[in-house]
Amino acid sequence: MTVHPTTLIRSDQTFESVGRSIEQAAFGKVQPAWWLAVAASVGLIGLLVVSVGWLFVEGVGVWGNNIPVTWALDIVGYDWWIGVATGSLVLSVLPLLLDRSWRGAIARVSETVAVLAAVAAGIYPIIHLGRPWFFYWNLPYPNTMVLWPQFRSPLYWDAIDILGFLVVSLSVWYLGLLPDLAGLRDRAVDRLHGDDREGSGGRFARRIAQFYGVAALGWRSSAPHWHRRGQALRIIGLLGIVVVVSLQTGAAVMFAGAPEPGWHDTLQPVEFVVVALFSGVAASTLVVVVVRAAFSLGGVITEAHLDRLGRLLLGIGLLDAYCVATEMFATGTSGNSYAVASMAQRLHGPHAWAFWTMVLAGLLPVQLLWLKGARQSPPLLLLIALAVCVGTWADHFMVIVVTLQHDFLPSSDQAYSIGLWAVATFLGSCGLFLFLLLLAMRLLPVLAAAPVRALTHPGAESTRTPVSSDRIDLPKDAPLWGVAAEYDEADQMIRAASSLRQHRLGRIDLYSPVPLPEAAALLSLSGPGIRPLAVAGAVLGGAAMMAMCLLATGYDYVFLIGGRPRFSWQAFVVPTVSFAALSGTVVGIAAMLFGNRMPRLNHPAFNIPGIGGATRDRYFLVVEAREEFDPGAVEAAIAALPDRPLVVHRVRR
Amino acid sequence: MRQLFAPGADAILRLVLLVAAVLVVGGLVVAGGISRSNWAYGVGVAPTQPVPFSHKHHVGELGIDCRYCHTSVEKASTAGIPPTWTCMTCHSQIWTGSPMLAPVRDSLADDKPLHWTRVNRLPDYVYFNHSVHVTKGIGCSSCHGAINTMQLTYRAHAFTMAFCLNCHRNPQRFIRTPDQVWNMEWQPGADQERIGRALVAQAHIRPGAQLSDCSTCHR
Repeated sequence: MTVHPTTLIRSDQTFESVGRSIEQAAFGKVQPAWWLAVAASVGLIGLLVVSVGWLFVEGVGVWGNNIPVTWALDIVGYDWWIGVATGSLVLSVLPLLLDRSWRGAIARVSETVAVLAAVAAGIYPIIHLGRPWFFYWNLPYPNTMVLWPQFRSPLYWDAIDILGFLVVSLSVWYLGLLPDLAGLRDRAVDRLHGDDREGSGGRFARRIAQFYGVAALGWRSSAPHWHRRGQALRIIGLLGIVVVVSLQTGAAVMFAGAPEPGWHDTLQPVEFVVVALFSGVAASTLVVVVVRAAFSLGGVITEAHLDRLGRLLLGIGLLDAYCVATEMFATGTSGNSYAVASMAQRLHGPHAWAFWTMVLAGLLPVQLLWLKGARQSPPLLLLIALAVCVGTWADHFMVIVVTLQHDFLPSSDQAYSIGLWAVATFLGSCGLFLFLLLLAMRLLPVLAAAPVRALTHPGAESTRTPVSSDRIDLPKDAPLWGVAAEYDEADQMIRAASSLRQHRLGRIDLYSPVPLPEAAALLSLSGPGIRPLAVAGAVLGGAAMMAMCLLATGYDYVFLIGGRPRFSWQAFVVPTVSFAALSGTVVGIAAMLFGNRMPRLNHPAFNIPGIGGATRDRYFLVVEAREEFDPGAVEAAIAALPDRPLVVHRVRR
Repeated sequence: MRQLFAPGADAILRLVLLVAAVLVVGGLVVAGGISRSNWAYGVGVAPTQPVPFSHKHHVGELGIDCRYCHTSVEKASTAGIPPTWTCMTCHSQIWTGSPMLAPVRDSLADDKPLHWTRVNRLPDYVYFNHSVHVTKGIGCSSCHGAINTMQLTYRAHAFTMAFCLNCHRNPQRFIRTPDQVWNMEWQPGADQERIGRALVAQAHIRPGAQLSDCSTCHR
């Protein structure tokens, strides 16, 4: 099958085949390579446990950290991982906010990378503390010391930033997962009842189905479900951009707070965001290419997707090159001999390899991506993405270690060499990331089905899979929940629903495998919905954080140092913004769950015979019973419509 | 599709979520409560001592002044634990055959000090000076409680940082006139706030600017 480079989906893909791709990845045979990778990652986790154990016994000296290089591989590792995490989240949410249709096939991978890289990053701020077991001293809680944490300290900003980022990225990820987990639940149920071609799903079939059932929180693919989820996803995606900018620029501001030459360039906040995007897009690209090959997803992650990722890498790489060049030019012409000396140290000091690795692995290989052939060649793209990951790591090493190492006090002029335990810790964090990634790619849906299905050609929704043979005995006097009509095309269901709405037979609901804007309009779901609530939550949360910081430092425990004014609000902007994003996200998720009455595991809608089709390729119109419900009249009304449904069922409560 | 979950599953799920929430919140509340409880700080527990010395008898009933034994309390950072000789000023004359006091006599005979178990302890990173407290008008009982009623000596307060800061931020609530420092039954009067402020000013105590600086206690 030939693929036009601009096609985001192969023309033979249908609603059913997209679902099958996901199903194959989750339920298919486990490859020996997967087990091999799991074994390797578990080995690395063992290394992490040993390294961290030794660290707890001996202290951060085992990493080789000392004056003047007090921040070494710990902060390099943290900055690199959180850069990968923030960049990957942006790769998912920015195209979402801009309605880019290529996002669908790769969003799951990039969101998973974002969450798991944040987990890998999150261990560093804890273990790099002198006494890691007191990490909670960083958080404001009523303690016997009647002390507040130092709100002006980057350590506190980091704690709130990571917490905020974790909450936001987990929320984006999980909102995306909901319909796909429901899809796996329904396929697992199909296998349970032998509807599937491969027969029953084995001994644990029921447990597996229930695992996905609980994970999907009772997702029913109904129009209100889709609508509220979409609203929540967009506003939380926006908050994701906010928290990423807050976190990365906040990190740049903490560097600027130290008296090191080379950390005060006004371009630095921008550079931090750019490097984060660079590493995040590279890491996500790497995983996308591997997942695409491992699960044979070439039909839905096409050369066009790789092309877009390649273009993005090239564009961000050029931005990074611009930042590096500008910084060097500005430093060179600044006349500041300390800054110039620091820059010279980067170019030919004892750790000059970091600068040259950044250039040779980070900035140069992406230039190959000017060529279309390179962008669309998976192995080449994989190698370039890997090089960028290495290059951005070296970039962080250069910014942190090389700068610190060149101390201008002769008494602090000590050499630094990378400690073996620091390397072991970093490898261990890679193992943790890899292990969780392998687990996620194996157990969870690797794709977001709905946005990929939306790309299929017209008519791909009706693949004529047989109508489910499910029958539920319905005694004559059984209490009725409603009447359900099954369609195989969205337009038929929408037309039927708009005619039935005139009759006032009961409450109409529509179930579909993809969100249908017409359905939301038909059911009068439009309106501000979740957005104002999430925004109000963000504003209130941010205000509460700022108020707490001001109250603590300006009133409750006045601590006048460094000539700062009593109410120095500027120092609290970073945690305020990050906490605002966190609060808005929590409110958004709560509003979505409450509005959709989730979680709800047992629901009359699941009594509709064949309702599992609603996560595959079928559309259901349901007229729910109200007082004086006459199922006969509903059936007659449906029968009178020009579009005949595949089947009509009475559904018991 | 057949229902994957029985109708009761939602109730179970909600119960599980509720229990999880209660465990998390309750766990934090319990941990917070324990971390500041008298139990965690050993308040009210009298440790076993080589001799069951009674402050109640010596201070409350006989009326011996604190400084008779704790001689350096007005001059040094530590109040001082009396040497065996101090005990013997009386006990070489009275209760000379008491078996209870045998360790004291042995100590004198062998020239080896008695090993008292420490009752009140501050962490090593806290700088504390008894003399400045008692000479500026902070009474013994403010920290050590009603020693004159203790049959066996025990810790009267949990010495958390909150306990210290409560006074360092509001010394006027606790400061006494010099003659009341040794009074174990002293209670603040109705006009303590007014008297306290005058005493604080008189003793050149600067609560806001000095007393709650980190380096006042952590040097």
